[in-house]
Amino acid sequence: MTQKRKRPKSLYQRIKENTKIQTSATVILPVLLGVVIVVLWQTQTLHHLFRTDTFTLPLLDRIGSILFDNIDKIWENVVATMVVALAGLGLGSLLGYGIAMLAALCPKIGKGGLSVIGAFASIPVVALAPVMNNWTRDISDIASVRSMVAKILVVMLVAAANMGLNAYRGLTELKPYSMDLMATYAAKKRTTFLKLQLPNSVPYIFVALKVSVPASIMTAIVSEYFAEYIIGVGRQIRENIVLSQYSTAWAYIATACIMGVVSYVALMIVQSILLRKYH
Amino acid sequence: MKKIHKIFDHKWASTLLWIVLIIVAWEIAATVVAANNRSPENILPHLYQILAAVFSTSKVSQGMTAVMVVLTSAKATILRALAGFLLGITAGFFLALVMKLSGLLEKMLFPYLMLIQLIPVLGLAPIILAITGDINSSRVIIAAVLSFYPVATNTLAGFKSVDQDKYDLMYTYAAKQRTIYTKVLIPSAIPYFFTGTKIGAPMAITASILVDTLQGDGGLGCILSQSLRHAMSIYVFWLIVFFSAFVGILSTYLMTWIEALISPEKRGIRKARREYKKSAVSQKVSVCPQISIRRRKAE
Repeated sequence: MTQKRKRPKSLYQRIKENTKIQTSATVILPVLLGVVIVVLWQTQTLHHLFRTDTFTLPLLDRIGSILFDNIDKIWENVVATMVVALAGLGLGSLLGYGIAMLAALCPKIGKGGLSVIGAFASIPVVALAPVMNNWTRDISDIASVRSMVAKILVVMLVAAANMGLNAYRGLTELKPYSMDLMATYAAKKRTTFLKLQLPNSVPYIFVALKVSVPASIMTAIVSEYFAEYIIGVGRQIRENIVLSQYSTAWAYIATACIMGVVSYVALMIVQSILLRKYH
Repeated sequence: MKKIHKIFDHKWASTLLWIVLIIVAWEIAATVVAANNRSPENILPHLYQILAAVFSTSKVSQGMTAVMVVLTSAKATILRALAGFLLGITAGFFLALVMKLSGLLEKMLFPYLMLIQLIPVLGLAPIILAITGDINSSRVIIAAVLSFYPVATNTLAGFKSVDQDKYDLMYTYAAKQRTIYTKVLIPSAIPYFFTGTKIGAPMAITASILVDTLQGDGGLGCILSQSLRHAMSIYVFWLIVFFSAFVGILSTYLMTWIEALISPEKRGIRKARREYKKSAVSQKVSVCPQISIRRRKAE
């Protein structure tokens, strides 16, 4: 009788099976990479790699100090961009959800609207922004108001497409037999919608928002490039680069990144509060 | 009335209805604008005027008609977008593969993959132009980055979506790691990969046009801003708007088409459908009354 002796586990195996080490690794490893990047940036190794100088790619501490020095002016631009992004996102999501509702309730007519709005999503922002500028020229005599309306319209179209496609899935991809159950209850169309389809679509709304929150900030920034009135984070990036003030431009880029991250985190918090009863 | 209902049974009918609605709305708005405005072609020309611009032979700039201007600059823009797009999707796919292969790398890079989605990369366009100093390479780089992250995140999600029982099956076959990847993981990630490319393709085109507007070097965006400043006929602007919309939509459909061409699932569905058609035809023959009568006589 030769019984197989249990081999002692190797160190690699033991690390792999230890859940504590594994969970801490998910935090430590990215932070480590971040530290390495920061060190490379500050010691100008990155500059050698990309063959640039500290003028076009300023050191991080310089970007930070400019960010704090101009905080008032930057905040003004952040507010302008965020108002455009959030208003466009809100209006567009409502529009998209409306079209999805139409498509779910009377599919024969509404489905085409869904594919049309999906096509709108593929239209480059660069083409939409000048068109919207032209259309809104007569809305108001004040340049800041009419260019804001134009920017909101562009963001709205992008957000609407996202929300429409996802919300339609949420309204129609129900649990098997749940529609039949509603039919056996002799439920009205309105009741079916309110009690079954609407709650079912809530997680899908957040799937859509997860994509369209960063997308609408990006769209707002790009449509600022074409706007008549000079305001907003995106426009400041461009203006500062035209003036060769690269450090200031980098400060605005950093602001744009922070805006993206903060709004995403805010969305996650809202989602975890609203979806708590689902899980 | 019944006929109208029957028309809506077709899939394309409702799409057509919406397109007609949009055209009607456009024309009404154009008429209103034409009545109230001194230069309506700047704001909203009639669609037939834009169509006329397509076929007009009048020279717009440097002895080229409007369509020629648009098409030559489109060639430059689209080629660069395509180069960036191919670079981006290849990098995205391989990054996802590497992240799947090594858990260490996945843990290290995954938060950054999420982070890059939140950075407005198009906002970085001017700075990348400043770093590279070359408009062509910066265009390719931005198009690549923009098509890179949807592909990477979606493909990684595809690798992760493989069920445990498939791994178990492969384990019972004593399959090698390589076989598991080529036979299970990569085929099941292909639909996810194409979801990524469908997002990335219009983005790459947008990026390429946007970078065009930053520096004059041919390309659609450059002509677009020139036309907006009335350096040439404003209809060139409208042609570019419609053309880029068309290319953007086409790129998404192209991806759907390529997916249908190469993905194993869709190929299976197509094969099944063909066989179903064949069997339906042969069944029709046997059901045909004359043959059955003849058969009865023979009996």
